[in-house]
Amino acid sequence: MEVLSSVGFKDVNVEERFDPFLGTSKERTARKYGVTGVNVFARKP
Amino acid sequence: MAIACPVDLDTRKLREEIQSIYSQVARGPSGDFHFHRGPAYAASLLRYDAALLATLPEESTASFAGVANPHRMGPVAEGSIVVDIGCGAGMDLLLAALSVGPRGRAIGIDMTEAMAEKARGSAQAAGFDNVEVRLGDAMSLPLEALSVDVVISNGVLNLTPDKSVAYGEVFRVLRPGGRFLYGDIVVASELSEKARRDVELWTG
Repeated sequence: MEVLSSVGFKDVNVEERFDPFLGTSKERTARKYGVTGVNVFARKP
Repeated sequence: MAIACPVDLDTRKLREEIQSIYSQVARGPSGDFHFHRGPAYAASLLRYDAALLATLPEESTASFAGVANPHRMGPVAEGSIVVDIGCGAGMDLLLAALSVGPRGRAIGIDMTEAMAEKARGSAQAAGFDNVEVRLGDAMSLPLEALSVDVVISNGVLNLTPDKSVAYGEVFRVLRPGGRFLYGDIVVASELSEKARRDVELWTG
C-alpha cells in the first residue's frame, strides 16, 4: 500500500478481504504467512 | 505488506514460469494447479454474481484465476474506458465491458498469448464490439499516458517483480481523477528468504 502512495495515488484503502486459497494445496502455506486476497482502491488526484 | 523481490531473483525465469503456468491454465483449466479456477470458485469464495457469470462464454470463465473481486468497489460509469491488466481469458474484462456499455471501451492486456487469444475469442463469441485485447506487460503498458478512466486487475500485480514500476505505469495511463480498482494478495507476516526465492510461490 505504501508503494501506491509513493507513486502518487490518494485514498489508498483495502476495501474487502477474501480467502482464495481455501481448499487448495497451498492453504497451509497461506495460513502460515497470513496470505489473503484483497480488494484495493486507489485514486489518481 | 508488499512482498519485496530478492535482488537476485531470476526475473526472466519468473516471467517464463508465469507464462508457462497460465498458458496451461488457458489450454486446460481443469488441470492440477495449486490455485482455484472457474466461475463456481469466483461465486463461492470471491462473491461474484453467479447468475451474471452464467451469461458469459464458458471459455472466459473456466480459466478465471483471480484472487479477489474488483467489481465490488463501485460501478464503472457507462462510456468509460477501462483497462484490465492481466486480463487472462477475459472474465473480468467482459464484466467491465458490460458496465461501460457500447459507448465505452474495455481494453484487456495480457502477456500470455494463449490467454489473450482466449479473451479475444470470448469477446467475439459473445458479440462484444467494445472489447480490445493487447499483448503486453504490466511493467510497460501498451497504452498512451492519461488515456484511461479506470484500471482493474485481479491476482496479477503480485506476480510483478517491481511493484513501484507496475503501479507507476498505472498512474501514468490514468486520467486525473481516475480510479485503480484491483484485487491482489497480501501477506500478514514477513516471508522467509527461502519463500521469497521460491518461484512457485510467486506464480500462485
